[in-house]
Amino acid sequence: MPEALTLSVNGESRSLEVEPRTLLVHALRDELGLTGTHIGCDTSQCGACTVLLDDRAVKSCTVLAVQAESAEITTIEGLSDDGEMHPIQRAFVEHHGLQCGFCTPGVILTTVDLLSRDPEPGSDTIRHALRGNLCRCTGYQTIVDSVVAASGALRGAGS
Amino acid sequence: MNETLIGVARPRLDAPDKVTGATRFAADGHVHGLLHARPILSTEPHARIRRVDREAALSVPGVVAVLVATDLPLATSGSDRTAEPLAREEVVFSGQPVALVVAETEAAAEDGAEAVEVEYEALPAVVGLEAAMAPGAPLARLLEEAEGGGDLESIHAGVDEGEQEADEEQLSGNVVDTVNRRSGDVAAAFEASDAVVSGTFRTPWVYQAYIEPQVATAWLESSGTLVVSTSTQGSFVTRRELARAFDLPLERIRIVAEPLGGAFGGKFALIEPLVAGAALALRRPVRLVLTRRDDFQSTNPQSAQVTHLRVGARTDGTFTAIEARMLVDRGSNTGWGVEGITTQLVAGPYRWKAHDLRGYGVQTNRFTFGAYRAPGAPTAAFALETLLDELAGALGLDPIEMRLRNAVVEGDVGVSGNPFPTIGAVEVLERLRGHPLWHERGSLPPGEGVGMAAGYWPGGNEPAAAVCRVDADGTMTVVTSAADMSGVNTGFAVIAAAAFGLEPDKVRVVTADTATGPYAGASGGSKITYTVGKAVEGAARAARVKVLAAASQELEIAPDDLEVVDGVVRAIGAPDRSISVEEIAQKALRFGGRYEPIEGHAGSAQTAGAPSVAAHLAHVRVDRETGEVELLRHVIAQDVGRALNPALVEGQMRGGTTQGMGWALFEQLEHDESGHLLTSSFLDYAIPVADRVPEIDTLIVEVPAPDGPFGAKGIGEAPVVAAAPAIVNAVAAATGARMRELPLTPPRVWAALTGDAPRENP
Repeated sequence: MPEALTLSVNGESRSLEVEPRTLLVHALRDELGLTGTHIGCDTSQCGACTVLLDDRAVKSCTVLAVQAESAEITTIEGLSDDGEMHPIQRAFVEHHGLQCGFCTPGVILTTVDLLSRDPEPGSDTIRHALRGNLCRCTGYQTIVDSVVAASGALRGAGS
Repeated sequence: MNETLIGVARPRLDAPDKVTGATRFAADGHVHGLLHARPILSTEPHARIRRVDREAALSVPGVVAVLVATDLPLATSGSDRTAEPLAREEVVFSGQPVALVVAETEAAAEDGAEAVEVEYEALPAVVGLEAAMAPGAPLARLLEEAEGGGDLESIHAGVDEGEQEADEEQLSGNVVDTVNRRSGDVAAAFEASDAVVSGTFRTPWVYQAYIEPQVATAWLESSGTLVVSTSTQGSFVTRRELARAFDLPLERIRIVAEPLGGAFGGKFALIEPLVAGAALALRRPVRLVLTRRDDFQSTNPQSAQVTHLRVGARTDGTFTAIEARMLVDRGSNTGWGVEGITTQLVAGPYRWKAHDLRGYGVQTNRFTFGAYRAPGAPTAAFALETLLDELAGALGLDPIEMRLRNAVVEGDVGVSGNPFPTIGAVEVLERLRGHPLWHERGSLPPGEGVGMAAGYWPGGNEPAAAVCRVDADGTMTVVTSAADMSGVNTGFAVIAAAAFGLEPDKVRVVTADTATGPYAGASGGSKITYTVGKAVEGAARAARVKVLAAASQELEIAPDDLEVVDGVVRAIGAPDRSISVEEIAQKALRFGGRYEPIEGHAGSAQTAGAPSVAAHLAHVRVDRETGEVELLRHVIAQDVGRALNPALVEGQMRGGTTQGMGWALFEQLEHDESGHLLTSSFLDYAIPVADRVPEIDTLIVEVPAPDGPFGAKGIGEAPVVAAAPAIVNAVAAATGARMRELPLTPPRVWAALTGDAPRENP
């Protein structure tokens, strides 16, 4: 039986009805229309469904929608501010940190988490942090470049 | 024309939408009344279907139908994946779709799928490639094939004629194709060689591993038109396949190619016949999104291959003879295989005095063979380039110098029987030789090594057309039907901007559907920038003619004395006499306007190929205790013709190289002895992850393609070709071990280092 649920997503309170077994990723995509969160596997390997739960990167296929009720959820759609790209998003555009773009929202949200914990990570740290986000197109180097650039932009903005 | 726009790194046009989550991929669109499908996959590698029990599934709330082959309105009786989207009587691989559950929700479809019972009568499974060829081997397919399997091979082009049938040889009925390329006296050429080396090389089935699983949605419009919105590399080829499947007129089918979440050769009208068949049967919109598990099991990976290869050379390094026997596992695919291309590419970009190259396409009960980036090339390059490394060692020659002595130049006749067009093999090898890593290779710590390898992809041709339209705001829209697999749209924008005389940021590019777009072939074979890009260049020039004609009247200056620069038409030598493109467009696009719309249409039909050569340096460290190979650094030099956008070109070079690293170290689809797949998730099938991939230096070499737009050529496939053999040669340099089976898993490397027999996979 579907049950009523209220999720806090991208700063808004959203009401929906889902079956208890519904994964957060399905609730976001199918019920709330937030299709920037992608599904690339069914074993929690690919990271395409990564979102932020209380500012920590989480694969939304590993969480039931009902488990996310008390959390603040941020999806890729919630990262830009009034149509203004987040500095991390801008860095990925300018430093060619994407090709097909299917893994990109997950990669960017993992980066948000990483840079919030470690504002100036080295490339080994970045590569380690991203090992749960599979990218088949880029070979990762421009992703690392983008994260480094984003780190610089965020620190510059903060100082 | 403004050539200064060419060669500037610019972000992809689609980057802002992709980083903000705004891009709608094929699984993202909302469709009213949508039904969701889930396939039932065969659990048997080879069997007759006795019975499909649908009753329990149909009683699951929300399940609308459980379809089997006879429920689909198929008009053709063949046994390829288009003609038989669901197995009719015989299943020929574990993972083949047998039935389709269609339901109101994805969850109901999943529940329904679990309730479907299929009863099989098992048949002997043909799993081993070599055993499958032997006379008297059990057949991988018992029921006769009624019709051929289309001509999907032509999509990948690049395969020259010059093949002939192999000599009479005792082979089983599983061998569905033989190819023999031969010229000269091979025996005499080996006899006259100073060094001859040989080996048998094995590569496994390898999966494209696009991160977006296969997905398609089909529905009927009120006019009766079948519409399919899909993640595909080719809209027109998909339309053709659906017309064949259901005997529909082409104009009654509309294919919408959605943004691709990766494809790499794997998305060529594979699941669309199934989804369209369901929509036609049920008269309701149906979407199928494969789960990753189903995608692993039921799609079309690159085939396993066994290559027996022998090569010879003189003491000065001149190549003499090459002899190959190449066994290609087709799985269930009887329509096409890579025997033709792999026997062509196994000779590499080199001159040989004599060759005898044989290819065999063999049916087995494993998957349906499909294309994966440069199909047939990495397997060929692995064999050739590692053996050449050994040959250089035997002769005491520098491996790059030896290759340079034999590298083809324009006009040399290849094993295809045709002369090579413009090709940058020499330029690429010389550029690679200049990299510092090559000179450091003699002074590395123990356990480290540097290896090199080279390869090429011949490129493809297919006629194409494009439209360029200037709107009243002075911006331009480029319309093509090419699926943007690798950033081609961003390239089209700069081609159009440069050819017309506009700022690139004033150009947008639209991928049209088959009802509205100009023709383009599928995005495969490294042909889109070369062919569709050429059409875009022509269309922009045609639009420029229109704007010059109008400006000529406005300024009272002959068109030949005008130029278009940054969106302004001005007199050559008198730039103050000018009118903007925007103003002319406004004068044209209105009631009572006097000028034709500023639009151009053009086509292309190149006949000359534009091969791309790529060579690699790999630097590795081998852990002798564990057999683990660590990639420390990598260099790729590639002839790209002309880098329209170096950032995107480097992206292709690095991405292709990284997939080659997967070939080298990680990736293999494994079946057990009875033909059941052991690797159906990213847990069991490892693709390169961020912390296993090193920095990759890119060396762009530009040998312009005479017939390409601004000298550009297709570049997507060449970088994957020789990445793996460079790594394998680096392992040999580090340890002395010559590895002849991919991937170089730690157990295999450890066994080679300790002298133990490697633990073979089934």
